[in-house]
Amino acid sequence: MKKLSFFIIYSFLLLSAHSNELNVITTYPYIASIVENIGGDKVQVTALASAKWDPHTILPKPSYIAQLRKADLLIINGAQLEIGWLPQLIRQANNPKIHFESTGFLDLSKFVNLIDVPKNISRASGDVHPEGNPHYYMDYMNLYQIAEAIKNKLTELNPENQRYFTENLNKFKEKLNGKIQNWEAKIKNLYGIKVIEYHKIFDYFIKRAGLVLAGTIEPLPGIPPSSKHIEAMEKLIMMENIKFILQDVYNPDDAANYLSKKHNIKMLKLPHDVGAVDGAKDIFSLFDFIIERLNND
Amino acid sequence: MKPYSLSLLIIFIILFDNYTITQEQTVKENPFSQSKFVPDISFIIDASYLYHNIKNHEFEELQIPGISSLHSNATETHNHTHITNQKGFNLNYGELYISATADPFFDLTGILHLSKSGLEIEEGYFVTRKLPLGFQLKGGKFYSGFGKINEQHPHIWDFVEQPLIFNSFFGSEGLNETGVQLNWIAPTKFFLSTGVEVFQGENEPSFGTQGFSIGSNEIEAIEHPNLLTGFISTSLDIDDFTGLLKFSIASGKKREVHTHYSETEHEENAISAKTNIFGISITGKYLIDPIKSLSFQTEYLYRTVKGNKYSYDSTAATVYDLERNQSGLYSQIVYKFAKRWRFGARYEFLENNFLRLNNISEKLPSYLPRYSAMIDFNPTEFSRIRFQYTYDRSRYLLEDLNYSIKAIHQITLQINLSIGAHGAHPF
Repeated sequence: MKKLSFFIIYSFLLLSAHSNELNVITTYPYIASIVENIGGDKVQVTALASAKWDPHTILPKPSYIAQLRKADLLIINGAQLEIGWLPQLIRQANNPKIHFESTGFLDLSKFVNLIDVPKNISRASGDVHPEGNPHYYMDYMNLYQIAEAIKNKLTELNPENQRYFTENLNKFKEKLNGKIQNWEAKIKNLYGIKVIEYHKIFDYFIKRAGLVLAGTIEPLPGIPPSSKHIEAMEKLIMMENIKFILQDVYNPDDAANYLSKKHNIKMLKLPHDVGAVDGAKDIFSLFDFIIERLNND
Repeated sequence: MKPYSLSLLIIFIILFDNYTITQEQTVKENPFSQSKFVPDISFIIDASYLYHNIKNHEFEELQIPGISSLHSNATETHNHTHITNQKGFNLNYGELYISATADPFFDLTGILHLSKSGLEIEEGYFVTRKLPLGFQLKGGKFYSGFGKINEQHPHIWDFVEQPLIFNSFFGSEGLNETGVQLNWIAPTKFFLSTGVEVFQGENEPSFGTQGFSIGSNEIEAIEHPNLLTGFISTSLDIDDFTGLLKFSIASGKKREVHTHYSETEHEENAISAKTNIFGISITGKYLIDPIKSLSFQTEYLYRTVKGNKYSYDSTAATVYDLERNQSGLYSQIVYKFAKRWRFGARYEFLENNFLRLNNISEKLPSYLPRYSAMIDFNPTEFSRIRFQYTYDRSRYLLEDLNYSIKAIHQITLQINLSIGAHGAHPF
């Protein structure tokens, strides 16, 4: 009996063994990629959602509860992108550290300016986000504020590593500076090109690159196209000189395929997050990939 | 009259005068406004059109053998399965959901159920926010964590009705009790959760606390709380498959009293017993691609009731040793084949229908199946239209102590809508 209780206590200690590393959970992979850059080997970071799936409707797996239970810090995209799957997981995780009012919670949307903030809120307009378009990280200029906010939060939780995190932030910014120079040189050629997209997920990038968004295949956010809407899109395509259809990896691509074949427009399957396609391995190659595709096609 | 109307006019003029002044003032923000504290509020409506091949009044006479508790009395029909059985249009229920964080220490949720019989508190409970070490305390009136579907609200069910087995053991409202729950999430890599609950134990089909006296037998009421439950669950992820396994147990005393008066007879029946229920629940979901998925849910429940039955029929009182075992299973599979379309099939049955009075077994149909198939269209996450066909072979007509089956073909067209801010649902 004594042996058994020793064994139980020992295995408990093993299970709950706390390393010095900060246990960071992020909702999406792109956040984890930035945290890796800033936190280095002082943090252990895991992203809950996979970029394979629609970021609005992630399956709330019980294993996420186990991960949130042990988290020191939860970093979310915010602007209600996680509203359909995260709140219940937090409530079930029984971990006061990561409640929204706690220090172990960081909402990145609070550090950037959101576009398309609706004036009137009604679900008659589809799946609208009251705070604005939540896919703000698709504008690479926002990465500066995001990285800064992450560094500040890591420092707040782990002040003894302040210097380390600051150094990493500076390295990150330097690398981003170089990358942006490279990207801007390439997107110059894209200025004024007209595109359509399936869901309003690439808007921030479109704006940054000077592309013109002529329309969306979804008639309203979250509502798949009807044949009537496809007809309207065809009219639009015939009237305007549209060069690309930007399709994400998780929405059905049959409408985009149809339009692309019939009207001879290129459909580009672009990653919306790190890991959505093989080429997008981290936050930098995510944009490398998108800009390469737009430039070479 | 005239002076009155004149003074009334004067009052109106003064009021109007005042009103215009206050209107100028409303440009300022009300310093005592608390509108920012409005909790999440949502309202759900569930309506259906129903057809079955049996007349409404006949349907009400049918019962599930051995489940209706004191069935031995032929003239008494106790049907605890309150599914909507009226042909034609039905407003099944309205549900008002209100939830918010009360203070740093508690979350509060209230769910009001609106039906023909009025407004009732379906759930009203608090949940702690700050307990350390992975613990959480829940208290109030709420659905027990026993099993899987019991905690799920009807608007997220994959089929119109509650499974037969839950309906039979816990009634149409499920195991919904007043008490407390303590749950714990283990600090493990994989998901491991366990919880215990202490409830009043008033659930009619399986528990109950009232005292009674029949003939010379006097049975005292049971002290509250009367019901204890416990559960443990764990999950497994393999690539894009996620599975959840849960074991549950519920244990409490059972009391039930039925009296029957007629011009010629006076009958009383009562039960004083102990009920144990065991459950195994398996839920799984496989994400085939970003649009298609396959999910299944299956639960097996086993119930034992042991105690005494007391009978009194105008002439004499009798006491029997009562022993009752029952079990049942439902198994459902749902295939989401397009972004807004799902198809599902469910097979379920009650079995092991076993009742012994003084060691003499009663003859009861021992296999009571029901089959359902549904297809639903979800225009958005806030609306659902479902078509369901059900073939029910669990209901019998009891005549002269003989059971005869009444197979039911049922077609339901259901619509479910929600407005407002509603919380996300767990796996």
